[in-house]
Amino acid sequence: MTVDGSNGFDDFLESVDRDGAIAETGALAEASLSRRRLLGLALAGAGTALISGAGEAEAASGLPASDVSILNYALVLEYLQASFYTEAERSGALTGKTAEAARVVGSVERAHVRAFRKLLGSKAVKRPLFNFQGTTEQQRPFLKTAVAFEDLAVAAYKGQAPKLKSKAVLAAAVGIHSVEARHAAWMRELFGITPAVHAFDQPASRQHVNRIVASTHFIVQRPETKARGKPKYTG
Amino acid sequence: MATDKQRAADGVSRRAVLGVAALGGLVAAPLVGRLVRLADAFASPSKAQDARILQLVLQLEYTHVAFYEQALQKASLQGELRTFAQTALGHERAHVAAIKGALGPKAGPRPSFDFGPAVRNPDEFKQAAIKLEDIAIAGYNGQATNLTAGTLAAAAKIVSVEARHASWVRTLAGEVAAPEAVDKPMTAKQVSDALREIGLKA
Amino acid sequence: MIGLLSTGLTARHRQDETAASAALDALPAAPAMALQVGRPEHLGSGRNLSSWTIVRAETVAHTEPAATSPIVATLATATADQTPNALTVLGTRTDAGGQLWVRVGLPVLPNGTVGWVRRRSLGAYQTVSTHLVVDRQRLLATLYRNGAPIFRAPVGVGTDSWPTPAGQFTIRSQLTRYTSPFYGPVAFGTSARSAVLTDWPGGGFVGIHGTNEPQLIPGRISHGCVRMRNSDILQLAALMPVGTPLTIR
Repeated sequence: MTVDGSNGFDDFLESVDRDGAIAETGALAEASLSRRRLLGLALAGAGTALISGAGEAEAASGLPASDVSILNYALVLEYLQASFYTEAERSGALTGKTAEAARVVGSVERAHVRAFRKLLGSKAVKRPLFNFQGTTEQQRPFLKTAVAFEDLAVAAYKGQAPKLKSKAVLAAAVGIHSVEARHAAWMRELFGITPAVHAFDQPASRQHVNRIVASTHFIVQRPETKARGKPKYTG
Repeated sequence: MATDKQRAADGVSRRAVLGVAALGGLVAAPLVGRLVRLADAFASPSKAQDARILQLVLQLEYTHVAFYEQALQKASLQGELRTFAQTALGHERAHVAAIKGALGPKAGPRPSFDFGPAVRNPDEFKQAAIKLEDIAIAGYNGQATNLTAGTLAAAAKIVSVEARHASWVRTLAGEVAAPEAVDKPMTAKQVSDALREIGLKA
Repeated sequence: MIGLLSTGLTARHRQDETAASAALDALPAAPAMALQVGRPEHLGSGRNLSSWTIVRAETVAHTEPAATSPIVATLATATADQTPNALTVLGTRTDAGGQLWVRVGLPVLPNGTVGWVRRRSLGAYQTVSTHLVVDRQRLLATLYRNGAPIFRAPVGVGTDSWPTPAGQFTIRSQLTRYTSPFYGPVAFGTSARSAVLTDWPGGGFVGIHGTNEPQLIPGRISHGCVRMRNSDILQLAALMPVGTPLTIR
């Protein structure tokens, strides 16, 4: 199954699909980042942004280091969503109201990414490379994955908001958190399940979110397309 | 605004206002029937401030409960619109219960409402529901930076549900479910005014 | 009596409202958001974009998006350059069983062969906005970005005996830090193959590279490769990512 043996995202997807159909995720693991590798990555890598306290010694724009760490963690989730919707829109696989939702939500998530990068400046983690394993190329897998991502983003923001030290950052975080919740309801409605199940939404810890994201194997290493050998071309 | 002289004349001391601990350690100071000395109003989060905010939020949730209750009785809601109202009502009742529980005996009374045509036909209902849910989101978001961490965590569990309601009813109204990139906050005064405008009576 | 009472009650009510209003005013307004979320923008047309991916697991390409259709080629995970096997993505299709297939350009003869590969055998999609066009008549290479030309250079192409093939291809790899003056400082591997040098070690692939005979450029001089002066190939290397589609006319 998954490299670290966890089944988190598949369980998550199954809980989304009331019909009980098995979610489709890629079978093979392509240089994907398991939890262990996420922990071992260099500071500039996206994976570490998911791990709490990843050693951000300096602050961006005078923000507390712990806030910078949380912002980078949120940025990875925004990168993931923005790339997901963008790739889905470009794939041409979506139709009707789902296609329209992907256009609108994608444009918003891209705006979120720009805002985070602007605030974090040189402290912003780089955009990871994502292999969405077909979930951006077929409508039903797209919707199921979108529901899971949006619900996860809502829980992630909720988990971090009380830890933020800067009030200006908190003000932004809550303003984005409620938008993600609107998105979550939107995708649920399109998928055909109730947009709002519980009276209270639960927070998710950074560890939990990290585990879920790692279990998808969506974040992959960039292929190294440069080499040192002598050319063997025809000349 | 009350002046110091007025407050002194009323003989309500700061200790009297703030000294009572309600259930759960919150110092409750209901908006109606007490005086708050502006000079002592806390700019930074405190349990007393949490309580003041929760009183406002309680009014908000009472408004939602009454609105959905009355619409289900009178607005001839059918199909998914009816399901939406029933679901939302269940959630809002749970919100009221939770906030009342946090405030204890100091919880403010349920206001009375006159929603007018908004609870008498489906189209008006949808538009009013959109407004009400948006007011709740803006209200909660506006107070996030005024709350202590614990109360913020609790409030966060509620506001995302209101956002789901907002998105759902927009879809039912044939509108874009989530048109904005960020939800802007409202001040407490703006929330209070907006609630009165939609039908909350003192 | 009643009038006095009601006056008293009204006054009390006004006091309560004043107190309530004061309490609300006492709550600070939210501070300005640290994040400035700008206006959402829709994607452009995408007509200047090309998508590429790598072969993640050795696989086969079929003529149709169906496992029952004939196999056109096997695809290894690495090129002869020991770089990932990069392919241009041309489209996708879901078969009757729900399996996702991807149409890709194949680095096989005859040049221009396409085939269908199972999605799970491929890696992450990457998008480029660049496009390299080599004109064999004008002996000119032009790099476009978002549809606009950003680089031009004279080139040497294949002789009549060993022609540079025409068609749609992919820039698959970049080689540097080798010592071979014949190839100049940088060489790009492509998916284009010589139709005549089929026994060439490494498969007879056409490359784009520098030269130790710049005086021959422009000209019809090579065994099929596209040659550039060294200063030009270095500039191209700074502008053109691997995965860029290549058109040879």
